[in-house]
Amino acid sequence: SKHPDPLHTLREVEILDAKTREKLCFLDKVEPHATIAEIKNLFTKTHPQWYPARQSLRLDPKGKSLKDEDVLQKLPVGTTATLYFRDLGAQISWVTVFLTEYAGPLFIYLLFYFRVPFIYGHKYDFTSSRHTVVHLACICHSFHYVKRLLETLFVHRFSHGTMPLRNIFKNCTYYWGFAAWMAYYINHPLYTPPTYGAQQVKLALAIFVICQLGNFSIHMALRDLRPAGSKTRKIPYPTKNPFTWLFLLVSCPNYTYEVGSWIGFAIMTQCLPVALFSLVGFTQMTIWAKGKHRSYLKEFRDYPPLRMPIIPFLL
Amino acid sequence: MAAAAATAAAKGNGGGGGRAGAGDAWLVIAVGLVRAYLAKGSYHSLYYSIEKPLKFFQTGALLEILHCAIGIVPSSVVLTSFQVMSRVFLIWAVTHSVKEVQSEDSVLLFVIAWTITEIIRYSFYTFSLLNHLPYLIKWARYTLFIVLYPMGVSGELLTIYAALPFVRQAGLYSISLPNKYNFSFDYHAFLILIMISYIPIFPQLYFHMIHQRRKILSHTEEHKKFE
Repeated sequence: SKHPDPLHTLREVEILDAKTREKLCFLDKVEPHATIAEIKNLFTKTHPQWYPARQSLRLDPKGKSLKDEDVLQKLPVGTTATLYFRDLGAQISWVTVFLTEYAGPLFIYLLFYFRVPFIYGHKYDFTSSRHTVVHLACICHSFHYVKRLLETLFVHRFSHGTMPLRNIFKNCTYYWGFAAWMAYYINHPLYTPPTYGAQQVKLALAIFVICQLGNFSIHMALRDLRPAGSKTRKIPYPTKNPFTWLFLLVSCPNYTYEVGSWIGFAIMTQCLPVALFSLVGFTQMTIWAKGKHRSYLKEFRDYPPLRMPIIPFLL
Repeated sequence: MAAAAATAAAKGNGGGGGRAGAGDAWLVIAVGLVRAYLAKGSYHSLYYSIEKPLKFFQTGALLEILHCAIGIVPSSVVLTSFQVMSRVFLIWAVTHSVKEVQSEDSVLLFVIAWTITEIIRYSFYTFSLLNHLPYLIKWARYTLFIVLYPMGVSGELLTIYAALPFVRQAGLYSISLPNKYNFSFDYHAFLILIMISYIPIFPQLYFHMIHQRRKILSHTEEHKKFE
């Protein structure tokens, strides 16, 4: 005969609205080793409009969200657990956002490169620029975004599955808007090639290629840091690949290389809008790098002290 | 819009003597206007009489953004920046830059609207600081905007509109292709864009103030009942 096991008593979970304290759901006969993710799934059954990705469950109405991996019996709750629910709003997957925001610039730039009608004067429709650098710029720009798309599909491991839906409009406006603005001038019939000619273009191309390789190397290193399906966080260190040695000096060398790529592209095209795009991107990436650096410092006591967030020794 | 954002920006009380002092600036401008009008009998060249103090004090208002950013003033940095920037833009990038509009009535329209708004606003702060705020000042601050905002906005829009042909003719602040940095900017088109942006922004600011008015003036009424 079976002995009743006190550790396996089934639990009850009540879910209240964090703002109104209204009782939204009552779950009984919940396994004590159930995860928050499983509870979210149960909650969705009674409220299908709140799919798990838009649920934030917490122990305290104003507290932090519980993680999907958290186990019910490990939480500081009794046999009846009270969880507070907050609606995070419509969510969209990171992968979808990335693919959309990167496919846009790829396509839009080509519209300007091929001078489709209604952009420049009619006599220029479907003509081709006579400057080599313009063709080179198209190759670089397109390569950059194809690389990003492939990395999104095959390389990156995202810690969050989703982000708020409104982000896709904001992000796409930024990427697509700037792509159109840059492409307009570079592919314009009145485009002026760089002042120092082929020398300038060669130097810029070298910077661009090195930084693209560097950026890719960092993405691969970060991927190898985290096994598939897990959400573990570790300190990144330089590997055998020389491009990753930048980890000795900065926390986010992927951003460093990204800024470098765009500076290279700006020098190559000698186009002010490109420089402005690089500046805005640099500002945003610096904010992200500082945030990442701060969380590394908070999480790891033995974090290398020499490292700066994005620019060696400076920033 | 510059007028609209003015009161919307600074909802809080207090904010230091610096603010109250700036109120004097607007009194100077107001007095300047009245004196010039009395002296000349017409209002067509009034802009010139208050041009310098207007430029000086409105540009000095950039400090207000700093005060908000540091936190010695409880107003929103975003709204304050917005208001100050739009006013500085109108004074320098439109009125100062396009001499032909300086004799327009529309300039007077927004200057008067800003002047009255700011005098009331600074009186509000001064009295709040002294903890002796007459209801009249509070009422004025949260009621007169109903007329002053549209007045200011009309003045601003008409001035920009009047400047357009001169900007186009002179190619003011504009750069065209081809050039070394592969960049172009059409100030005329930019001004039109600014005018269009009033359409979504002004109603938001206006209704925000109406909402504030309802909240603050009815609150005072209730307080009065219990006294």
